[in-house]
Amino acid sequence: AAGMAAPTMEERKACWGARDEFWQCLDSHGDDAAKCEKLRRAFEARCPQQWVKHFDKRRDFLKYKKMLETEGYRPPEAAGKS
Amino acid sequence: LRQRLAISGALVALAAAGWLHLRQQKQNQQRSKHLRQLRELGLGSAGFELRDTSGRPRGKRDLLGSWVLLYFGFTHCPDVCPEELEKLGEAVRLLEERSELPPVLPVFITVDPERDDEEAMRKYLREFHPRLVGLTGSAERVREAAAAFRVYVSAGPRDELGDYVVDHSVLTFLLDPDGICRECYGRASTAQEVARSVRGHMESYEPLGE
Repeated sequence: AAGMAAPTMEERKACWGARDEFWQCLDSHGDDAAKCEKLRRAFEARCPQQWVKHFDKRRDFLKYKKMLETEGYRPPEAAGKS
Repeated sequence: LRQRLAISGALVALAAAGWLHLRQQKQNQQRSKHLRQLRELGLGSAGFELRDTSGRPRGKRDLLGSWVLLYFGFTHCPDVCPEELEKLGEAVRLLEERSELPPVLPVFITVDPERDDEEAMRKYLREFHPRLVGLTGSAERVREAAAAFRVYVSAGPRDELGDYVVDHSVLTFLLDPDGICRECYGRASTAQEVARSVRGHMESYEPLGE
């Protein structure tokens, strides 16, 4: 097969663990990524780059979904539109 | 007074039985309608031609005679596929606990044939269930198999390391021994729900042409 092998179950779990720790840190620091740099680096070290991108998108989606549930949909204000 | 109580009791019991019977009928009707709709969709009826992890050719006809739980995924999948395969393995294990039920064959078809060759799949799948069959093939054959089940597949852009993820529909299909898709389970269903549903289909199954 082309390129690198897929992560094993152990590697997957290590990646998910690092991700969860990073996200927990973000949760307790109001998403201030600057406060969680070390865990971010550990997360990036443990997971394939493609997965980091995937999980970053997932976090954004989960936050957006939560916002919709708590605050409701707010259409973006566009100046000049009727 | 006792006589009156007995008569009232009997009437209540009769009404309850009647209500339960009507409810059962309605459920049966809904189930028949659901089955008919799935049958009309004819998911998987086009068949496929792939190879298993021993390199042996396996087609749709090789699955006939078995109940099958089929999932499309890829080994480089970040989270969804491991979770769905974990669920699939657990559902099969739950069904195995009931010796009176026929065995269920768990099957995985890759949506990433370029990277998921026999060895990659063997390594990946054995961690979920010992009987989990892995199928791969040429890009064209895999595309045909996905299309037969109307599974959406879209490989993402490659990064500088050549890595990519594949966006795909997340569904587990239940095929009966006649090769007909009787149900499909999505992300929301649990292993217990899948096992219960499969059992229900097994119990109401009537073989074709008998």
